[in-house]
Amino acid sequence: MKIIIIQVLNHKLQFIIELLTLAMKHLKFISRTVLVRNENVDEACRILNRIMGSEGFLDQYRRTMFYEKPTQMRRRINYEKCKAIYDEDMKRKINFVLRKNRPEPFPGCY
Amino acid sequence: MFVRVLRDFCRQTAAVSGRENVNRLIHIAVPLEKNRDRRSFLASVPRKDEGTEGEKFVFIDSAITKKEDMFPDINTPNMHFGGVKFSDVPVCHIKSSRNNTILHVTKPNGERIMIRSCGMEGFKNTRKGTNIAAQATAIGLATRALDFGIHTVRVTINGLGPGRMSSIKGLTMGGLKIISVTDDTPISWNPLRSRKQRKL
Repeated sequence: MKIIIIQVLNHKLQFIIELLTLAMKHLKFISRTVLVRNENVDEACRILNRIMGSEGFLDQYRRTMFYEKPTQMRRRINYEKCKAIYDEDMKRKINFVLRKNRPEPFPGCY
Repeated sequence: MFVRVLRDFCRQTAAVSGRENVNRLIHIAVPLEKNRDRRSFLASVPRKDEGTEGEKFVFIDSAITKKEDMFPDINTPNMHFGGVKFSDVPVCHIKSSRNNTILHVTKPNGERIMIRSCGMEGFKNTRKGTNIAAQATAIGLATRALDFGIHTVRVTINGLGPGRMSSIKGLTMGGLKIISVTDDTPISWNPLRSRKQRKL
């Protein structure tokens, strides 16, 4: 029984490793690709755009289109740091204000 | 609000002092007024179209619908689409830049079958860099491809431009069947020094 499970796991691992190596090579039509389902091209495009945006690919592309001077880079990075700190604080504050301490937190809502 | 009160006050004092029909702004209000005008002007200007529709878009029903079959795996190149292997389907390369959109249809090995661009379609100068031009070009290319006997294509997109999404829309409107969408934009995390910034 144990042996069978280990074999299955091994097989899965191999599959994952194979897929990863393919993706690491940035093979065309494997990486950064979305298949179209039910002829819904719009959905596929939107998913692609969203993933590219959220992974920072599009930002990196926009940023490296033109040379970013060191001062600009320093300013941008400092701004991003400040924004991250502010966002974190604000999130905590909002969660604090919206906290609920009753048995049924939102009565009347299901 | 405060500026408006000040301005009215100013007008009143001017009227009281004997001169009629004197409507002028006091010194500090002018720059503020100008600033507000510019802000309203900027708000009314439509946002620049980069063609990346859906980048800042969140699906509410994403948890419900399964998207696992939308991403390729090892078996995808051997999958059949209309009797043809995925890896043998012709490719439509779209290069959408700021000023133009160029579409190639190639064989899977990269050999070119046909090429169309917004400039070839009759759009000239700044009109080349619009989504309408891209869509028209894509429709033209799709009809030609259908004449050639190509019905299904894989699509690769290169670059952020106004023709990024609209050319794909044009391909589907022209009657081509798209089976996959790939992003082919060259992105580097340790790039060479790029050209200097545009002066606006």
